[in-house]
Amino acid sequence: MAYPDQAGDKAILNPFPKVKRPDLFWHCFVLLSLPLIFLIIAPLGKMMLMPEFSDLMAALKERVVLEALGRSLFTALAATAVAMVFGTPLAYIMARKNFFGKKVVEGLIDLPIMIPHPVIGIAILSLFGRNAILGRMLDQVGIEIMGSLTGIVMVLVFVGAPFYVNTVKAGFESVPIRLEKASRTLGAGMTSTFFRVTFPMVWRNMVLGAVMCTARAISEFGAVIIVAYHPMTAPVLIYERFTAYGLKYSQCVAFWLIAISLVLFVMMRLFSRQRRIQ
Amino acid sequence: MIEVTDLTIHLPGFSLKSANLRVEDHDFFALIGPTGSGKSLLLEAIMGLLPVDNGTILLNGRDITAIPPEERGLGIVYQDYALFPHLDVKANILFGVRYHSIPEKESQERFRFLVDTMNLSHLLTRHPMTLSGGEKQRVALSRALILNPGVLLLDEPLSALDPMLQDDLKNLLKSLHQELGATFVMVSHDFSDVLFLANRGAIIHKGEIKQTGTIQELFEQPGSPFAAQFVGMKNVFPITPCNGASVTLNGLDIQLGHPVMDHDHLALRPEEIVCDPHGRATGANRFPGTIQKLVNRGFYYDVFIQVQEVEFMAQWTRREVVKNRLEPGSETRIAIPRNSLHTF
Repeated sequence: MAYPDQAGDKAILNPFPKVKRPDLFWHCFVLLSLPLIFLIIAPLGKMMLMPEFSDLMAALKERVVLEALGRSLFTALAATAVAMVFGTPLAYIMARKNFFGKKVVEGLIDLPIMIPHPVIGIAILSLFGRNAILGRMLDQVGIEIMGSLTGIVMVLVFVGAPFYVNTVKAGFESVPIRLEKASRTLGAGMTSTFFRVTFPMVWRNMVLGAVMCTARAISEFGAVIIVAYHPMTAPVLIYERFTAYGLKYSQCVAFWLIAISLVLFVMMRLFSRQRRIQ
Repeated sequence: MIEVTDLTIHLPGFSLKSANLRVEDHDFFALIGPTGSGKSLLLEAIMGLLPVDNGTILLNGRDITAIPPEERGLGIVYQDYALFPHLDVKANILFGVRYHSIPEKESQERFRFLVDTMNLSHLLTRHPMTLSGGEKQRVALSRALILNPGVLLLDEPLSALDPMLQDDLKNLLKSLHQELGATFVMVSHDFSDVLFLANRGAIIHKGEIKQTGTIQELFEQPGSPFAAQFVGMKNVFPITPCNGASVTLNGLDIQLGHPVMDHDHLALRPEEIVCDPHGRATGANRFPGTIQKLVNRGFYYDVFIQVQEVEFMAQWTRREVVKNRLEPGSETRIAIPRNSLHTF
């Protein structure tokens, strides 16, 4: 059915006449893909469908829940903004320059993806805790890391930035250097070239990187709970409700977190959908 | 005017060795050499896109060696055109205008002139991805020329086009060069293109400039075996220097048009060898020989003729070959006019 014009003269077009059904390949692959899809859909679907509608609405009326959801959204977006401001130049350097120790820097950028999340929290704690020198110095100028929004954002940048930097770096690498050179031969300086040639060709990667960074940040729990139990983000609240009141109460919050994430990401994807240049 | 002095570039695996060049105003200058000879490298260095290890580049007397490419006042057209895929044709052509203090009226006039000359008016809203090779080439040329560059550099402008378009572009380049009174520097590996377009040139081989001069000089008086081969003198032989106007080529006495001193190579274009099967030719350098091999090139044949110890290569028309019933093993006679012999 996928190849209507092959039906009549299969023997001519099929290079391996012994394989009667070329569709078999695709059937096998689809069959092998299904369990994974099921693994994602089943638990999430169950959780999304289990709570009573009235409970969901009731949860939305709770100040604590609203605040936690808002805090999660805000800190994740703030972390993404920070990652964009500092990660874009880094990604450009990594894509365009060769220098001694580049592999080490690449490894460092990837490191937050690999280490266990509580370890990240502990690492930040040991640097900015109330007994650490840096923590005390920041404390004196009025910046508090532990148990503050600043601290949460810092943790989220830590875990989310690698996703942004790697995605945007791949984007920069796909822009031919020749085009940047051509722009400069036409009189544009490096800054103009970046904004008029490079940026228009990578902004989709930047949106994609931002989506991934936000996704990573909004879902962070392990590192956040060590740096800041309070003020509470949605994942921490969900965990607290689960341990204190049980499954039912945590599900109502989880539902809204997933719903918000879904809407956010679908919106961003639609926004950055590849426009076909005719 | 561009003056390149002792330009040296070291890259891993390749280096350009102290290149010297002088391109005069209104020249159509050709950098000629085989693939990998370093000619495009030299072009990029002049444009300022490659760091230079040593030497200087002067543009109209101003040292531009350390000046970034955007301030050099040069233009370049890349072999692959390097058009901006996210901009339409019009935006591509006008890309650089804002960085040059060109009055609005003048830039519009130039734009109109180029669009007309290059026949682009129906393509202005199209994106580069949808253009053919020839169209892209013309957009890239317009984009560079609208800025009125002091010198326009062309990197292998003909090599990516099919033969029909090559002829069109050659005519276009020639008329643009004349109409605009511009200075062009072209990189090419094909001497026949250069012969048609350029007035002066340099032959580069393995990162070294072998010879500079007018195209006529390069064509008629190559100074090295490589240059001779490259400009189409397929017959290049080492000779034992003799007195006066005759040399010995592997036991074969050959009369030259004029006396020479201390030259140790003899070169000869294949098309200059006269097919003389009936011995009607007069003058010096008439030899009997055996045909070794015939290679059909379409309109003409490459004919390899053994004369004693020497194998000559001649290019004879299809008509000559058929009329004289030439085939491998057959005997024939050749004549080599004195004036077609070149020594160095």
